[in-house]
Amino acid sequence: MSIDGQSATGPDETARPTAGATALRRAIVVGGNRIPFARAGGAYAKSSNQDMLTAALDGLIARFGLQDERVGEVAAGAVLKHSRDFNLTREAVLGSALSAETPAYDLQQACATGLETVVGLSNKIKLGQIDSAIAGGVDSASDAPVVVSEGLREVILDLNRAKTLPQRLQILSRLRPKDLAPLAPGTAEPRTGLSMGEHQALTTAQWKVSREAQDELALNSHRNLAAAYGAGFFDDLVTPYRGLSRDGNMRADTSAEKLASLKPVFGRNLGADATMTAGNSTPLTDGASTVLLASDEWADARDLPKLAAVVDAEAAAVDFVHGKDGLLMAPVFAVPRLLARHNLTLADIDYFEIHEAFAATVLSTLAAWEDEDFGRTRLGLDGALGKVDRSRLNVNGSSLAAGHPFAATGGRIVASLAKLLHAKGSTDGRPARGLVSVCAAGGQGVVAILESV
Amino acid sequence: MAVQPLILGEMPSLSKLYINAAAQAARRRLLGTGDSSHLPDESHEVRAVAVDVANLTAYQHLLGETASDVLPAGFVHALAFPLAMSVMNRDDFPLPLLGMIHLGNRVEQRVPLLFTEALDITARVENLRGHRSGTQVDVVAEVRKSGSNAVCWLGVSTYLAKGIFLPGIDKPSAQHGKPDFRAPDPTALWQLGVDAGRAYAAVSGDFNPIHLSVLSAKALGMRRSIAHGMYLASRALADVGPARGDSFIWEVGFEAPVFLPARVALDITTEQEGTGAWHRSDFVAWNPRSGRRHFSGSVAALEDAASGNGDERAGKDTPGLTETGVSGPVQEERI
Repeated sequence: MSIDGQSATGPDETARPTAGATALRRAIVVGGNRIPFARAGGAYAKSSNQDMLTAALDGLIARFGLQDERVGEVAAGAVLKHSRDFNLTREAVLGSALSAETPAYDLQQACATGLETVVGLSNKIKLGQIDSAIAGGVDSASDAPVVVSEGLREVILDLNRAKTLPQRLQILSRLRPKDLAPLAPGTAEPRTGLSMGEHQALTTAQWKVSREAQDELALNSHRNLAAAYGAGFFDDLVTPYRGLSRDGNMRADTSAEKLASLKPVFGRNLGADATMTAGNSTPLTDGASTVLLASDEWADARDLPKLAAVVDAEAAAVDFVHGKDGLLMAPVFAVPRLLARHNLTLADIDYFEIHEAFAATVLSTLAAWEDEDFGRTRLGLDGALGKVDRSRLNVNGSSLAAGHPFAATGGRIVASLAKLLHAKGSTDGRPARGLVSVCAAGGQGVVAILESV
Repeated sequence: MAVQPLILGEMPSLSKLYINAAAQAARRRLLGTGDSSHLPDESHEVRAVAVDVANLTAYQHLLGETASDVLPAGFVHALAFPLAMSVMNRDDFPLPLLGMIHLGNRVEQRVPLLFTEALDITARVENLRGHRSGTQVDVVAEVRKSGSNAVCWLGVSTYLAKGIFLPGIDKPSAQHGKPDFRAPDPTALWQLGVDAGRAYAAVSGDFNPIHLSVLSAKALGMRRSIAHGMYLASRALADVGPARGDSFIWEVGFEAPVFLPARVALDITTEQEGTGAWHRSDFVAWNPRSGRRHFSGSVAALEDAASGNGDERAGKDTPGLTETGVSGPVQEERI
């Protein structure tokens, strides 16, 4: 039997009740901080992922007095990531005011990265493995890695291994002019060659989502976000960076007419069905977000606010490669499973945060949930999952207006929703409840439920 | 002695200053020096200096600083440097600017400065005094937020005019022997490429030829190009890391120059308070092959009492450099 009680598994150990038998404790969202999101090539054009993540982290540290604090664990990630940034999150921690003894790890699940860091760290808090954590994400579309061609890469690696001059010359002679052209990162799915927008265009046509409905959702996103800024909602959620104090993509003065005047950019081969424009799709964006998570005891000991509890989460994936489902439709399946686990329906949710990868993604999701046949055949329900009350959807704006730095979106949503739930307090004698839904490349999605504290 | 500052309309151009300094050197050779042992009283000032954010980011990336909106203390030095040069470039400045050696530097970062803030920068010279091998002088630069009286950043750079002895200024008695230096175990090893001088020149604006290339350095009598002293000191400051907080005193004394390319060994020793809070970090850097010391210094917490108030003109009671800064028998960089 080991002294520390955790390395060996002897006969004594198996007889002991497992730690899992004790009740799980709560994981609390204390608050969040992000830098304003900037359009690619804008205010953060020269800032790296590490710069932005550190800036978001330092703002969080300043807000909650975490200087020199050894936080249980920090997890964050980036979707567009340089190979030199293998330890991105740990490097950001070392560059921040946190104690250098704070451990960190990188996580990557495409656009669900940010939400998944919240889920994973919350689970560790619930298990009692850590008492505090910072979840986050960052992405730069401006400072994206540029990769050399396969031909050049192989030549460079072989040159490193070559021992003699004739060997080196022979290897160099393999180089062709085309090998010297660099490759910029794309958003095409590796298995289909279709960009995310082209994939969504297929789904949009399948669910017959109209151009008008998409433009209306986009307009609401801008109006809601601008109203939230106007009401000071983001005063304790956003720290200015590089001269930006509000999201650079937000267009408070946009109108239905302006949005209607834009030409479709995705699905143009669909002819009359091409409805997706730059106005109702998210732009490439730079930014970073962080969320402070804690146990009740940790937050109380420091007299920190407690906004919401991370109740539960569910991941799903769809078989999109040959078109069985749309690329961004995984949350359509994750949400009913998560609701069922808690005996909830859509009517029990006070706020919906459905990530606006494209306006049509949100509308296709809602359409699938309202479809009787889809509910029966694909979701295994008696009928449609139900209708989302649109007055509860993305009430402070979402990615269409704020922009979408891929891995940073989850942290933006969780911090904003937690604050919203806390302000709401309770409904019908129960805590206010929020649902987060984030779709991701590779046909994946992560969804979560938060409750006010 | 309240002399009104000379207010310049814009930050002087360093390249013009260098050219002017060369012309002045030639003129003085022909006409002889003024034999003055007095420093000009007038300070120089530039108001509402704006920071270029792209330049700030490039500086932060090169030096290894976190790319926050706060100006690194060494960046402020680079910002104020042309103004400091302009004071030493005056006709009534008694020492020849070209060839002066940067012995050491002391910075009080009292209040963090953001790149979004316009800055008023002043520079003056003071404390003309003897050195065993010439005459030394302090250049004091102060940086305030535009329109405010409080000094947020105070820098004292000590320079030596080697071989220049002015009437009425005593030479201190020679120091006995070279202080022993035994290299500790390094905590870091820097690999400086031959382009390290050019890279720092690009972000600091200090295109002194002795830093740029072997050829340009040879033209000025150097064996090879050398790293900027403030590049080395600023990297050490960055290596101390964010534990130093937003206000601190940063001192460095320069010794053997770093000829490029180079490997530089560095040791940083940090002292913590009983509470575990950072108190100070001492750094020393040396050539790992020869064991010669390149520079040493410290970053220390700036106590509230020392941070002063707005009206204080800190130059009066600012101590000159500590002995380590001027004791070395070797030289750092020349102007």
